[in-house]
Amino acid sequence: MALRDFLKGFSAQRWFTPKACRPLPLVFSQFREVLKANNQALEIIADMGEKLSGEYLFDLRYVESTVEEMIAAMRRAIAAINVLTQDQHTALQEVFTPMEARIRAILNKRDDRDGPPLLWLTEIEDRHWPLVGGKAAHLSELLHNPQVRVPEGFVITAGLFHEILDLNGIRPEFDRFEQLLSEHLPDEEALEALRCLLQEKVLRAEPPPGFLATLAEALQQLAADSPRALFLAVRSSAQEEDMDFSFAGQFHSELQVPPQAEAVYRAYLQVAASLFGAKAIGYRRQVFPEGGTMSIAACCQRMIPAKASGIIYSIDPMDPGSQSMVVVGALGQGQAVVEGQVPTDFFRLGRGEAPQVIERVLAAKHEALLPTGNAEGGLAMQAVPNGQAGAPCLDERILFELAAVAIHLETFFKRPQDIEWTLDPQGILYILQSRPLLITESEKGKPRLSEKLEDYELIAADAGRVAQQGIGAGPVFWVETLADLKEFPEGAVLISHRDSSQYVQVMHRAAAIVTEVGSPTSHMATLCRELRVPCLVGVPDILTKVVPGEEITVDAEDRRIYRGRVVELLTYQATTSMDLHMAPEFRMLRRILRNVSRLNLVDPLMQDFRPEGCKTFHDVLRFIHETAVLELVELGRDDRCLPGGLARRLELPIQAGILAIDIGGGIAPDAPRDAIPFAAIRSIPFRAILQGMLFPGAWHQETMPVSFRDMMHSMMTTPQDTLSGQYTGHNIAIISETYVNLCFRFGYHFNIIDAFCHDVERDNHIYFRFLGGATDIAKRSRRATLIATILEAFDFSVKTRGDLVIARTGNLVQSEMERTLDILGRLIGFTRQLDVQMTDDQAVARYAEAFLMGDYGVVAGK
Amino acid sequence: MSETNTRLLVVDDEPIVGKRLKQVFDKIGFAIETYTDSAAALAAMAEKPFDIVVTDLKMEGIDGIEVLKRVRAMNPDTRVIIITGYASPDTAELAEQEGVFAFLAKPFRLDELKQVIYRAIESGRAKA
Repeated sequence: MALRDFLKGFSAQRWFTPKACRPLPLVFSQFREVLKANNQALEIIADMGEKLSGEYLFDLRYVESTVEEMIAAMRRAIAAINVLTQDQHTALQEVFTPMEARIRAILNKRDDRDGPPLLWLTEIEDRHWPLVGGKAAHLSELLHNPQVRVPEGFVITAGLFHEILDLNGIRPEFDRFEQLLSEHLPDEEALEALRCLLQEKVLRAEPPPGFLATLAEALQQLAADSPRALFLAVRSSAQEEDMDFSFAGQFHSELQVPPQAEAVYRAYLQVAASLFGAKAIGYRRQVFPEGGTMSIAACCQRMIPAKASGIIYSIDPMDPGSQSMVVVGALGQGQAVVEGQVPTDFFRLGRGEAPQVIERVLAAKHEALLPTGNAEGGLAMQAVPNGQAGAPCLDERILFELAAVAIHLETFFKRPQDIEWTLDPQGILYILQSRPLLITESEKGKPRLSEKLEDYELIAADAGRVAQQGIGAGPVFWVETLADLKEFPEGAVLISHRDSSQYVQVMHRAAAIVTEVGSPTSHMATLCRELRVPCLVGVPDILTKVVPGEEITVDAEDRRIYRGRVVELLTYQATTSMDLHMAPEFRMLRRILRNVSRLNLVDPLMQDFRPEGCKTFHDVLRFIHETAVLELVELGRDDRCLPGGLARRLELPIQAGILAIDIGGGIAPDAPRDAIPFAAIRSIPFRAILQGMLFPGAWHQETMPVSFRDMMHSMMTTPQDTLSGQYTGHNIAIISETYVNLCFRFGYHFNIIDAFCHDVERDNHIYFRFLGGATDIAKRSRRATLIATILEAFDFSVKTRGDLVIARTGNLVQSEMERTLDILGRLIGFTRQLDVQMTDDQAVARYAEAFLMGDYGVVAGK
Repeated sequence: MSETNTRLLVVDDEPIVGKRLKQVFDKIGFAIETYTDSAAALAAMAEKPFDIVVTDLKMEGIDGIEVLKRVRAMNPDTRVIIITGYASPDTAELAEQEGVFAFLAKPFRLDELKQVIYRAIESGRAKA
């Protein structure tokens, strides 16, 4: 569909639906009801999200009761929007019902049961985590990271595991087994008998009908994309694996499996049965004494014909303060390395700016684990040709490449990593696994951390609020405009005045984030929690206390910022055995929030901006909020709905021609009936906009000379072209004490600002829309680009389509809201007739620069 | 901020509470011991006095009120802080009578607990 048609469709649906006029105060009170219910739900979601910051102590009971409250608030919000829109969105309830069911399945820990039997690693999203297990989930994260290469493959899911249990009549024994594991003092004999029985039954289990065909198809596809003869590595990915406990070596792996469906299925059963292995169950009972649900998935990946393989630790676990990393490697497949079957080369690398090898201990590598070469697959220990045994398994170039990957993964996962790598004969490096590196530092003779910290210069103490706990150190990088993000270096600390969800672009590379304003409930804070970026918000004047490039350490636990790199704190972080994010309470809450707080429905211009496009609770709330705002926007546009008697003329020093309709507390009660002066405006957001419009020089009074061509253009525009036709009617402001809906219809362009502003940050929003102009589309688009550029500089999220600009911001404290609205007021004046002057693309940058510098006179050629 | 001399004991049957508080208070220099079993916690207190005891209210076996009573009987200088997800006004009143220093409702910010503990230390010093 052409953009033009699409926009027409959009405008037809949203802007010109004839509707019966309802009294404004009634509509406004219904609007407030929507906001209220929406905010209650958002508040609960934000509250739950905040708990993930690590700043709180909570238990599972908290999670359960809060989920109930949240669901009730969602239902109220859905009901309220249907009252406001007169039942135009009853589909929301149908969309919400399955979402609610899903959340309940998570609460009952049954969310690993429903889903496809097979998922490609590339297809895996967060919501699939319970289905694919911890290891595959981490692999898929790596796969989406352009800086590492992961062997292609797919996952046989926990969904299939449960299907097999049901199909083969194993369910009753399985349930009984889970039950026994959760008992305080179970009958050990019964437990052991059941364990053996389950293992046997799973090994003999029949696949569900059609599964082997699905598997064969996947294998064919994998073979088609594979440069060499395909063999597979089939590895476990259990529910809890690589989460809070590594389960390292507890489950079975089958390597060099031939690419036939039957063979892969048999290998899979071996892996699945190892869930009930004596060793794995013993380990499970140690780490989960309270029991819990069990299931297992398996990763099936292309085997890399390894020239060499091994492990890299992103810091030396024996000496975490040393700033060095450790590599071990051998020739052939890595299985022999992790199981300690072969002697390995040892390298110690410096972590400084220029990589260097500090220590190198080479082993005589007379044997290597290599493919047998048979069609049936399998690996065998084989002799290494004479002369190769003593050579290093990796050259310096690959070592440094590996070191860079390790540092990147450490920044990416925000913890030291234990990484399995393999090198193919072409010298291409693959990452097979990356998991948190466990380090235990001896307590003996260790001076207390708090005493060591006294030697460092404290830049800020009791600094702001924690959006995400953690400790991060790196060079300071200031972000003033979103464009700065493009330059953001790996491992830097992001410092900015305001928070912005746009920072998500660099969060994987950021050691920490510190902002001067912002709240722990903002979108940015949510993203920090998802990506585990240590973050402090609301740290006053931090920009004046640090300079770009200097190293600082942010302790977003005790809310302190130190000058320099505080090695002791970083070591402390690496050696704390408890990774909070992996605790069961945190994981449960995170699973719920994944289905609740993610925002997919961002762009109201997209076709999926409808109830059916909602994937999460937040999407539903977003849809409701946007729909409610548009309902008001539309009302402001529709002259039929504006009772003339209510509209009162403003008397301003500039010729803006605005009529105000006060629906409650927007105008001083003692103001004159007509010709209302600025001083009588009580509406917080409207007053701020007017202040900007009245700012000296911002509102130029001169009329721009419109060229004959431009004039002809606008006159020739077909009447159907609703986007560039002339808008008629008044400039109308619908206001209350905390709200403004301002519609400007300046000749050929149309500008809406819808804003809500009071002392509760979460309620606050600004919606800005600008459209059209008198000149040709090139000039109009340039003006749109100019407006977008300026709004982006003020942290709006902005969409442009031709000459249409839609920008939004919100969740700001009242003072920031007022400042932003003031800027919008100036912008309205500044850009009012500016399309005429947008003769070339350079004009965009020139005028944007002028506006940002406060040089408003440039428009009048002064 | 070093609290090297302050001895803190935490008892809560949810393992996350002890694990988490150990992490937090270790870092800022407290000498902290944590227990998931109230009987074991009381045994530890019988051996050596603690300055501050943080206890859950509802626990199997010996509950928080009982812990409070016994601690106060053993060592009246120990400040007891009760953390709970469900405090009825009755239990709160009972705890007041038994000389609880503070009540904190779960979930709470770690900072809030820190502040309460600092207050408890202050009140201990003032009395001394």
